[in-house]
Amino acid sequence: MSRRLNVAAAVLCALLCAVLASPLGATEDLVQFESTEQQQLYRQLTAELRCPKCQNQNIADSNAVVAVDMRNKTLELVRQGQTHDQVIDFMKQRYGDFVHYQPPFQLSTIWLWLLPILAVLSLAFTVFRRSKSSQASEAPATETTGLDAELQAMIDAASAKSKE
Amino acid sequence: MRKTVFYVPLAAFLLLSLFLLSGLFSDPRDHGSALLEKPLPAFSLPDLQQPNRQISAADFRGEVTLLNVWGVWCPTCNAELAFLTTLRQQGVRIVGLYYVQPVDAAFGEKFDLPTLQQQVRDKLAEQGDPYLFNVVDEQRSLIFDLGVTGAPETFVIDREGVIRHHHVGDINPQNWPQLQRIYQQLQQGADHVPTP
Repeated sequence: MSRRLNVAAAVLCALLCAVLASPLGATEDLVQFESTEQQQLYRQLTAELRCPKCQNQNIADSNAVVAVDMRNKTLELVRQGQTHDQVIDFMKQRYGDFVHYQPPFQLSTIWLWLLPILAVLSLAFTVFRRSKSSQASEAPATETTGLDAELQAMIDAASAKSKE
Repeated sequence: MRKTVFYVPLAAFLLLSLFLLSGLFSDPRDHGSALLEKPLPAFSLPDLQQPNRQISAADFRGEVTLLNVWGVWCPTCNAELAFLTTLRQQGVRIVGLYYVQPVDAAFGEKFDLPTLQQQVRDKLAEQGDPYLFNVVDEQRSLIFDLGVTGAPETFVIDREGVIRHHHVGDINPQNWPQLQRIYQQLQQGADHVPTP
C-alpha cells in the first residue's frame, strides 16, 4: 500500500515538475542585440514610450497586445539602426503625442512649464510682501516705549504723592 | 491688499476644482487619433473570406466608409454587430478590419485561416453581418499604422480615402446620431466635419 503511494507521489512530482518547467522556460524572452548601444537604446525607448491602451504604464511594463507590438516594432527599428528621435517620431505618427512620456513644447502644453514657474514666483512674492508688512507692523511697537515712559512718569508722580 | 491676499488663493482653488471636475467627465481612453485628416496608410491585405482577393487603400475611394476594427474574441464588438447590421440595411457602407489576437506559440496556438473564417461566419450568422467585406490583418500591420489600441474602434473615411473621424468603443443608438451627422456631411462632400 505504501509502495503504491510512493509511486503515485513520484508520478505526481514528475508531472508537477514538467508543468512548472515548461512555461517558465517559455516566458523568458531573450532579446539579442548587435551592440550594447542598441541594447541601451532599446531599454531607454521601451521605458520612455507609453502604452496607449493602459492608463499609465510604459511599453516595457505592459503585456497589452498593443504594447507587445510596439516593443517588437521598436526592436525592429533599433536593429535597422534608427536613432532615438526617429523611433519616437515613428510611434508619434501612429499613436500621437500621448505615446511619449516627454510632452512636446507647444502652445497648448506651455502651461506645463509656465505654471510651476508662476507658482514659485507668486509664492516668493507673497513671502516677500509678508516679511515686509511684519517689519512695518513692528514700527508702532516703538511708540509704546513713549507710552511706557508716560505711564512710568504717572506711577512715579503717584508714588511721590503718596510719600508726602 | 488684504482682500487680494484672500481672493487669490480662493480663485486658484476654484480654478483647480473646475479643472479636476472636468476630469471626472473626460474619457481617459480618448486621446485623439494622430491620423485625422490623413489618408488611409498604404496597405495590401487579403479579404477574410476570399483570401485571393487583395484589398488596398484604393478600395476606400469613391464612397464614405466606416472602417470597423473588430474580432470574435471581443465582447463589445459582438454587442455592436446587431446595431451595425441595421445601419447597413439603412445603406451605410461598413468594412470590417479583423483584429487577429496574437497567437501564443508556447501554448501550441497558430494562425489558422479556415478556422477563423468559420468562426467569423458563425458569429455573423448569429449576430448579423454588417460588413461589405472583412480585411484580415494577421500581423496587425495596418492596425499598427492606424494607431489602433484595441477593439472596437471605427474610422470614418471620406470619398478621397482620407480619415475624417475616429471613434473608440462601440457604436450604439445613443452615440450614432453624432457619427451620423459626420457621415452624412461627408456624403454631401463637406470639407469640415463637426467635432463631437
